[in-house]
Amino acid sequence: MNWKFFGVFVVCLGLFPLVWPDPYILSVMGSAGIMIIAAISLNLLLGYTGQLSLGHAAFFGIGAYTSALMSLGFNVDLGFGITVQVDPKPVWAAFATAIVVTAFFGWLVGKLAFKVRGAYFVVITISFAQVMRMISLNWTDLTEGPMGMISIPPLSLWLPGEGVVNLTSKAEIYWLVLAVGVIAYLLVAMLVKSRQGRAMIALRENETLATSVGIPVTYFLALAAVISAAIAGAAGGLYAHTVRIIDPDVFLFIYTVTMVIMVVAGGKGTLGGPVVGGLIFGLMPELLRGVVQPEVQWVIYGITMILILLFLPRGLVPAIYDFIAWVRTPIAIPVRESKRALSAGAKS
Amino acid sequence: MTLAKQASEKEQIVLSLEGVTMKIAGLVALNDVTFSIPAGKIVSLIGPNGAGKTTAYNVISGYMAPTSGMVRLFDEDITGHTPHSIAARGLVRSFQRTSVFDDQTVFDNLLTAYHLQGRASLIQSLLRLPEFRREEARLKKQVWEMLDFLELRHRADERAASLSYGEQRILGVGIALAASPKILLLDEPAAGLNPSETDEFKAMIRRIGNSGITVLLVEHDMHMVMSISDQIVVLNQGQVIAEGDPQDIQNNPAVIEAYLGSGVKRA
Repeated sequence: MNWKFFGVFVVCLGLFPLVWPDPYILSVMGSAGIMIIAAISLNLLLGYTGQLSLGHAAFFGIGAYTSALMSLGFNVDLGFGITVQVDPKPVWAAFATAIVVTAFFGWLVGKLAFKVRGAYFVVITISFAQVMRMISLNWTDLTEGPMGMISIPPLSLWLPGEGVVNLTSKAEIYWLVLAVGVIAYLLVAMLVKSRQGRAMIALRENETLATSVGIPVTYFLALAAVISAAIAGAAGGLYAHTVRIIDPDVFLFIYTVTMVIMVVAGGKGTLGGPVVGGLIFGLMPELLRGVVQPEVQWVIYGITMILILLFLPRGLVPAIYDFIAWVRTPIAIPVRESKRALSAGAKS
Repeated sequence: MTLAKQASEKEQIVLSLEGVTMKIAGLVALNDVTFSIPAGKIVSLIGPNGAGKTTAYNVISGYMAPTSGMVRLFDEDITGHTPHSIAARGLVRSFQRTSVFDDQTVFDNLLTAYHLQGRASLIQSLLRLPEFRREEARLKKQVWEMLDFLELRHRADERAASLSYGEQRILGVGIALAASPKILLLDEPAAGLNPSETDEFKAMIRRIGNSGITVLLVEHDMHMVMSISDQIVVLNQGQVIAEGDPQDIQNNPAVIEAYLGSGVKRA
């Protein structure tokens, strides 16, 4: 039943550009979609293994920069007379490289940071993102520094009858983001409903007990970090090839915070959480634009977030499930009461 | 299985302590303790406070290495082995405090507990290959069987945290049983249970014993110990003062003295 709902939802999203081909709306949906993919990746770490990574924008940014650099090519002097020259690579190859590179960084951060937990992990991830931002700002030979990288080529696709098409129109970008988003969602869905995913959830719930039933803690934490980073890297790569300009601001803390808000408001540890939270907080600023003043927009944004966390602390998706369960539960008459009522009825 | 074979298995010793002495900072917690546990029996380790029960329990499960002496598990010297390697040899302990995955359903708690029985690789899981599907179906069948065994089938879809305290203890034992132990160590399983929960727990321990698993209980509740044990080992001040079936123990003057003191002859 859930899969049917998922299928219908995806088909509806897929038909959206045909029904409402407004380029502005589609571009807003596209950028919201990229943030949703990033939120899905964060949810794997935050929601399922219970580790708060406040440096998730780092993986997003590494993905964006790697994909951009590989597709544009670069020539950089590492000192000691060593120069690295990379010729421009096909865009999809660059995109794949970005995923592999971010997965590697995910493994690195996982290995380093999972030796320390809780607050220390949070600090290490924040520092990691800051270091990445400093590198992107100051290593101008490689990253052009604050000038950013421009003219990043778009992703392309071979279509029957049309040949190789560059995905540049708003509708094409929208479908591209949707496709990657569906893959990311399915990847996480398949993962968490398997033995490996159960091991990750067990770590969140009770690490001592998880160890005692034979779950190797560090392996599954590193695995979650690698997969999470890889998906975030894919989101970053999509960003680079659709916006086609990137600058060091992709590493900004606010992006991590946005992802955390999407995950927590939607419901961490649920598959639908980041999607629902991402749709609300990704689209709301744009939908409110033109309706109210910009200042008021941010006030509404903040109030919505506080209200959700105040009244639905587990997030929107669990609240919706609870509501459906509540509606479906028949009103139960306690057995003794009903027996008494029956016997009373018989007597009268 | 023939009766003769059953009888010979009954006589088999699965766990034995031979002259185990444990000194902790000058205190002799265990002094030359020797006893053995036959296969398939429910054995209780009792004694007044400070008798060395918990120390014996920790030595057996590998959380402490004894000062001298030897612990044998299936004729293998396991003295000083790590808890993990002892567990892998079939001796599993259940934790004293409630230990379940709170926010998971009872069903998922047990499914998680069967982790080590799973073999499907990450790729097989992600792509839902036939190997994964077969394994998942097999594990789920095992979980239903375990739920029937624990008599928790009607609670399968409830969050573990919403179970009663007694049911959580039973689920905790179920998680330990998922590791398919040959010997199960239970540390004060009845602590904090009300009388009806204790009865349910006792019934479950009997079922575990009947299924061929040797159970070693460390327990304070005398009613429980006397009513379900096949054999009782009494410790006092680090020494074994009595060993036998519940009838013997109840009438043993040394045990009465240890529990009630020598002055109380009226008892």
